[in-house]
Amino acid sequence: MEFVNPEGLRLDGRRPMEMRQLRAEIGAVARADGSAVFEMGNTKVIAAVYGPREVQNKSQQSNDQALVRCEYTMANFSTGDRKRKPKGDRRSTEISLVIRQTMEACILTHLMPRSQIDIYVQVLQADGGTRSACINAATLALADAGIPMRDLVTSCSSGYLNSTPLLDLNYLEDSAGGPDVTVGFLPKLDRVTLLQMDAKLPVDIVENVMQLAIEGCKAIATYIREVLLENTKQLEYRRGL
Amino acid sequence: MVGLSLGEKHFIKGGIDQNIRSDGRKRDSYRPIFVETGIIPQANGSARVRMGATEVIASVKAELGRPSALHPDKGKVAIFVDCSAVAEPTFEGRGGEELSAELSVALERCLLGGTSGAGAGIDLTSLIVAEGKICWDLYIDSLVISSDGNLLDALAAAIKGHISNISVVRVMKCLYNFFECSCDGVLIKLLKAALANTAIPKVNISAAASGDEQPEVDISDEEFLQFDTSAVPVIITLTQVGRHYIVDATSEEESHMSSAVSISVNRKGHICGLTKRGGEGLDPSVVSDMISVAQHLSELLMSRLDSEISAAEAEGGDEEL
Repeated sequence: MEFVNPEGLRLDGRRPMEMRQLRAEIGAVARADGSAVFEMGNTKVIAAVYGPREVQNKSQQSNDQALVRCEYTMANFSTGDRKRKPKGDRRSTEISLVIRQTMEACILTHLMPRSQIDIYVQVLQADGGTRSACINAATLALADAGIPMRDLVTSCSSGYLNSTPLLDLNYLEDSAGGPDVTVGFLPKLDRVTLLQMDAKLPVDIVENVMQLAIEGCKAIATYIREVLLENTKQLEYRRGL
Repeated sequence: MVGLSLGEKHFIKGGIDQNIRSDGRKRDSYRPIFVETGIIPQANGSARVRMGATEVIASVKAELGRPSALHPDKGKVAIFVDCSAVAEPTFEGRGGEELSAELSVALERCLLGGTSGAGAGIDLTSLIVAEGKICWDLYIDSLVISSDGNLLDALAAAIKGHISNISVVRVMKCLYNFFECSCDGVLIKLLKAALANTAIPKVNISAAASGDEQPEVDISDEEFLQFDTSAVPVIITLTQVGRHYIVDATSEEESHMSSAVSISVNRKGHICGLTKRGGEGLDPSVVSDMISVAQHLSELLMSRLDSEISAAEAEGGDEEL
């Protein structure tokens, strides 16, 4: 199947280096300490952060740092076929772990000992790149909750189909059988925190594809920064400053 | 949720006694309701309802299936509620299962009638495609995103919203071509519905020669029938706090209710289901009083919901063009 046609357009009309449309909203869940909705094309994800708060399970309490927990769930209606089990399946558990490790690396946990930070991510619509959208949404939610972080974590995926590196795969391109590289990146510190790839990729191409994903992450970071600045302006305005 | 102090509890109870609640409402007024339809493009119908800080999303997916042997002329509807951890940290893992089960069963009771299917709010006979063989299975999935009390009302409103958003199959039995090899199994070609306010597509089936065979089914996305939503009831939950009862309680008010009665009423003013929660006993006269209050309030709520839903549909239609 042709994923990049001779004119250089992908199935949804994008160029190979073009990301899907991003849209973010902060403060969607009133009861949470921080929340955000993040959309990458048709993938829509909502993240809520509760914390720092008292540790529920005393045996897991740590005296010198905060405990970070994460749960990733997909809504029943998020995928094309109706999902039976929203949580607890292996993929969800793995992604919960991945998100937790990524966020834990950038939260300044030593500032909040003996406390717990819960990150809940719910996928409302899945069209490829849910992992990345979840990490981006979690970053926004943590920022909304005012939790101190080393840097914004952004994530983007890239692949390699029809001999072309592609940025930000959607579901069709993801299920094409080509490689899917997911990168989690700290833009200011210029460090990669998450790197996952499946399927095969020639060694000389790996560098290119990863670099493309990193560029995508930098673009998302610019967008997230804008959204946060806009949100802060709104808060200032409401406070009458 | 942080516990309430004694002073706060007295404040809430006292306010309700004097017909002024914490957010300035009267005992019988609802919070502002926002409805958005067609938010999940891949579902057949979807709606998102916000009542104050309570937010729920409901979507319906239609799949072809076999009708049950007991009711060969009726389609099937299943309602599932999922309480997301995003709404409450306690819903993490399996914490929300109990509440989800309670809400699902309460909704099924109110909307689907008794076990025989009598008195259902949704007309199940309109879901049949080929009697005894093929019917539409509607799976209604709801997700609670933010919970601030009064979940049942919000869920019922969302279901009503997206049922009016979906349209039903018009089945056309065309002339049948009988090919022996193609008669095992049902051939279904599902094409994506063209509209964002999606609809269950039209089904063409070829009439089978003998009763046992599965007919060939061809689904396209042309004509639709509008689902009759006038019979879909709304649910009014009356929460008793102290000596008075309030409608649309926030979670603060719900936390010290003595009992709550959820009554589902349809447009004609008929009661379609009743659920009482809470440990405190109720005097029978109070229950009949609650029912009449619910009937009165349901008219207001229904007209409000209908106007919100049609506004949402119109907006969705505008975006299409």
